[in-house]
Amino acid sequence: MHIHAYEKLWLAASILLILLLIGSVTYGAVGPGVAMVSDTEPAIDAGGLDEDERFSEPRVEQVGENEYEAYVVAYQFGFEPDPIVVPENSRVTFYVTSRDVIHGFEVAGTNANTMVVPGEVSEITVETDEPQEYGLICNEYCGAGHHVMEGKVNVVSQAEFEEQQSGGEDE
Amino acid sequence: MGQNETAHPSADEVGGGDEEFDPIGTLTLIGIYFAILVLSWLFIYYIEFLGRDLVVVG
Amino acid sequence: MSEAIEGERTFVDKFPEEAAVVRAAMLGSFLALTLGAIFGIIQTLHRTDVFRGLISSTDYYTSLTAHGVFLALSFTTFFLVGLFTWAIVRSLDRPLLNIKITWTWYGLMAAGMTMTGISILAGFVDALDMSADVLFTFYAPLQAHPLFYAGLAVFIVGSWIAGADWFRTWLAWKREHPDERIPLQTFMVLTTMAMWYIASSAVAASVLIFLLPWSLGFIDQVNPTLTRTLFWFFGHPVVYFWLMPAYLLWYTVLPKIAGGRLFSDPLARVVFVLFLLLSTPVGIHHQYLDPGIAEGFKFISMTNTMFLLLPSLLTAFTVVASVEYGARQRGGTGLLGWLTELPWRKPEFTGMMLAGLMFAAGGFSGMVNAGMNINYMIHNTIWVPGHFHLTVGTAVALTFMAATYWIWPQISNKPIYSRSIGLFQVVLWFIGMALMSNAMHAQGILGVPRRTAEPEYAGFEYAAGFGGFEELNIQIAIGGTLLFLSTVLFIGNLVLTMGNPKVSGLAETLPPALSGPDDAPRVLDNLRLWVGIALVLVVLAYALPLGAIISRGGLLGPGVGTYPVWLVPAADALANAPALLTGVVVDAIAALAEVGR
Repeated sequence: MHIHAYEKLWLAASILLILLLIGSVTYGAVGPGVAMVSDTEPAIDAGGLDEDERFSEPRVEQVGENEYEAYVVAYQFGFEPDPIVVPENSRVTFYVTSRDVIHGFEVAGTNANTMVVPGEVSEITVETDEPQEYGLICNEYCGAGHHVMEGKVNVVSQAEFEEQQSGGEDE
Repeated sequence: MGQNETAHPSADEVGGGDEEFDPIGTLTLIGIYFAILVLSWLFIYYIEFLGRDLVVVG
Repeated sequence: MSEAIEGERTFVDKFPEEAAVVRAAMLGSFLALTLGAIFGIIQTLHRTDVFRGLISSTDYYTSLTAHGVFLALSFTTFFLVGLFTWAIVRSLDRPLLNIKITWTWYGLMAAGMTMTGISILAGFVDALDMSADVLFTFYAPLQAHPLFYAGLAVFIVGSWIAGADWFRTWLAWKREHPDERIPLQTFMVLTTMAMWYIASSAVAASVLIFLLPWSLGFIDQVNPTLTRTLFWFFGHPVVYFWLMPAYLLWYTVLPKIAGGRLFSDPLARVVFVLFLLLSTPVGIHHQYLDPGIAEGFKFISMTNTMFLLLPSLLTAFTVVASVEYGARQRGGTGLLGWLTELPWRKPEFTGMMLAGLMFAAGGFSGMVNAGMNINYMIHNTIWVPGHFHLTVGTAVALTFMAATYWIWPQISNKPIYSRSIGLFQVVLWFIGMALMSNAMHAQGILGVPRRTAEPEYAGFEYAAGFGGFEELNIQIAIGGTLLFLSTVLFIGNLVLTMGNPKVSGLAETLPPALSGPDDAPRVLDNLRLWVGIALVLVVLAYALPLGAIISRGGLLGPGVGTYPVWLVPAADALANAPALLTGVVVDAIAALAEVGR
């Protein structure tokens, strides 16, 4: 089969490009350690979230030094808890599930973004920096009120976080 | 119309010297495209994406 | 360089019955385009908050479903079946085996799309208890009226018969020409349809086994991850199903319009074989951010996806080289000076070239979509529709419109009403899409979501990046308006063309390739081999993920409900009817007994 020399050159360049793309993604995974939302969490009964230890009371919990877990329920049309308050300079793992249809969980303008599927739990871990308020939106069409489904993720100072946690318990 | 592709065309049908057609202009254009692709990718992956808040690490 | 020899017969002269099918298919396609464009302009203005008076934000999703189904499924597929019928008959130079079968599949596809269309449009009418606000991806547990799924099934079955029609015609030709290579256009049609059979089998299974019975109330629930995965098994190859007719035009028609000929027939075959092999085992790249699917499966899908760039990159070279050859035949010189010698005044040429240019840009955003972890940045943001308005919305749609200016005269013997308006129209599309798509990509980077009636939120504001949110909205609105105007000009021009008197002398021929089919290894024409390998790759890519999904959630889903519920209330009412009736009868007897006492 006759292939022109220029076309062979282009074929080689194309393969190099593909390797660059796959290489970049691999670098992102092993260098900065970007991990994909995956099948780490077992399936869950979407109709039985009220009896679930984590999701019957959606909340943020401290689980170690500078380590927190946020249990979040997405539903038509909102998120619980709202706002999700987490402390600065910490490592936060979100466990997000849905009680009804497929939703999205996107902290606007950041890389924290995952699908939320009923019957599954999405687990993503992020590291927070300085205090900042982020918008939280559902980015998967979920029904007639999809556009009003929003929440907040507030990264606050350690002091403010502790105050809120204890304040919450006092109520 | 019809049958043309099955008509076993030979190069001389095209006119002399066409076998040696070198698409140098195409190579130039596509080289420029390649450069744009690589630079845009490096920017969007390493600066835009990895530089954002809340990188998912687990 | 015109080969339009006076007196040579056009396609419609030679094959009047087939030409009627091609015209009917394309008109069906343009009807869908018109409807889709109307919903498009409504949405553009609504979403950007320029004008929200026409529909409510709830109806926005009905409109969005209509826009997606009419354009992505109907416009594309009807044009495809028309073009492929033309390509098969033209390149084999023989009629279809039985035109009644041809009209049967056309009728099935039209009926199916009408059913689906009615179920969607009923959503605008409050009085009708019917809607299908599920968007063209119809993810369970959002549920549409059963008519929506039934229509899709009928539509897909129609497309299967269409493929069988073309395969049978090719087999008949093969018996008459045992030692000849498959003509290039036929080869392209057959490989594309082989891919379509593999891909659509999954969505057909999803609709017939799960979604339709579920919408009829026969089963209570489905596994959302399973039906979603089956959708994307189909949903990625379907984008190549849209694209392949455009490639067919770029490879076989564009070089001729440019005054040249195809650079390499063998490479064109290689490209179509690669699409057959690689289009399907990649669908999981739409599910990078899905829970319940292991990271390893996602990585495999990404590798396949990245190699799927190869046939498109090769196409870019071959097509541009063929055009350059044409320019040099026309006297073009210099490293890039030949570009000025091209027939830029022809709408079919300029339209296809601009479509190709936008596809090159779409290639970049596609690479980002395909890059597994960078998906966190743009997943489900408006970047994604920004991408596919470059690919299906321009590379495909603009190529189809441009090709119409070339092909319509040959299937109707009527010259185009105004080629100047045609030229203006394709350039207008390019400008409109450049504005709209650019702004959509930029908003996506800011985190603005796709598929929402009101992308502005009460609790926060988007950061400014490449332009602020509001400013980008204006760009989207202007671009969308230009696209709508362009569609109106296209449809208007075509309607006026149909009113033109028939003339002769419109015939066009397609020249053979510089490097012809004899340079291609014969194994390329061994369709059984390629289909076999394609199936093996699909099994390798999907057996384990599908097995894992079913073992996690079960075939029928882990405790998931139905939203909204369609026939269950009706079924319940029916089930209760006997008891109710018995009660009434008993009451009546009791009353009678009272009276009698």
